[in-house]
Amino acid sequence: MTKPEFLRWLQETPVARSISKSNHLVGAGLQVAHIFGFLMLLTAVLFVSLRLLGLVLPEQPVSLVWREARKFVWAGFGLAVVSGILMFLTTPQRYLGNAAFLLKMALLVVAVLLQSLLFRRVAEDDSAALLPARAGAMLTLAVWLAIAGAGRFIGFL
Amino acid sequence: MGFAQSGSGEQLFALAERIESSAVGTAIAESRYLYAIIEGVHLIGLTVAVGLLFVIDLRLIGAFLRTVPVSDLLRQLRPWVFAGFGLIVLTGGLLFWSSATEELSSPPFAIKMGLVALGALNALYFELVSANSPAVRGNHAVLPWKIRFAGAASLAIWTLVIVAGRLIPYLPRW
Repeated sequence: MTKPEFLRWLQETPVARSISKSNHLVGAGLQVAHIFGFLMLLTAVLFVSLRLLGLVLPEQPVSLVWREARKFVWAGFGLAVVSGILMFLTTPQRYLGNAAFLLKMALLVVAVLLQSLLFRRVAEDDSAALLPARAGAMLTLAVWLAIAGAGRFIGFL
Repeated sequence: MGFAQSGSGEQLFALAERIESSAVGTAIAESRYLYAIIEGVHLIGLTVAVGLLFVIDLRLIGAFLRTVPVSDLLRQLRPWVFAGFGLIVLTGGLLFWSSATEELSSPPFAIKMGLVALGALNALYFELVSANSPAVRGNHAVLPWKIRFAGAASLAIWTLVIVAGRLIPYLPRW
C-alpha cells in the first residue's frame, strides 16, 4: 500500500467516517477535549518546574510535588493524544501537508523523550544536582509550550 | 428582534466596526501570522493563570496536595495567576480589537464574558473573605464546606470559560 492509499484507507475507517459524517459540534468537542488535555499537562509540568526553581513550596520535597502532579501529566497527555488522533483521522492528508503540524509532531517526540528520560527522573530524585535539574525542567517546559504554539498555527497555514 | 437589530445593539456594532477598522485592528487582522501568535500567547497565559488557579482550587476541594498548607500555595501562586491574567487580558484585548464585530455577534463570546465576570467575583469574594478565614490561615488539611464550594465553583466557572471560548468559531451567530 502506498502512502496516499494508506491515508485514504485511514480516512475511510469506520471511526474516521463516523466523525466526518457527524455534526460539526463533534469536531468542536474534540477541540475542547484537546485543549483541556493540554492544559492539564502544561499546568502540571509548569507547577513542578516552579517547585524545581524553588519559587513554589520550597519547603516541600520535589518528589512529593511530582508524585501528586504526575497523574495530571499523563491523564492530560492521554486526553490530548486521543482527541488529537481522532481529529487527524478525519483529514490525514491535510494535516500531513501542514508545516505547523509536522513541526508539532517533531517537537512532540522531543518532548516525550525529555519528559520521560529527563524531567521525570529529576523530579523523582530529591538528591538530583540542582542546576542541571532546573535547566532540564525549563527545557522540557519550553518544548511543551512550543508544541502548544505550533498547534495554534495549524489552522493558519 | 435580534440583538444586532435593537437600538443599543446597533450602537454597539457601530462602535465594534470602528474598533475593528482602526490601524491596530486592521494590522492584526491583515497579518498572516500575528493573529495566530497572539492566540498562542493567549493560550500560554491561560495555562499560567487558569492552570495554576486550578491547582489552588483542587487543593481547596481536597483533591491535590492535601498535606501542603493552603496559605503557602495561595501566597506563592498569586503573583503567577495575576501575571497570567494580565497576559490573557492583553492578548484577548488585541484579538477583540481585530475581530470586534465577529465576537459581538457570537453567543459563546457573550457567555464567556459573563462567566469571566462571575469567576472574577468569586475570586474577589474568596480573596476578601475566605482567604482570611481561620481554616485557611490555620492551614487545615480538610477545609470547611464553604471554602470547598468556592474551589468547586471556581473550577466549574473557569472550565466553562474555556469551553465557551473554544466554541466561538464553531457555533452560529445570534
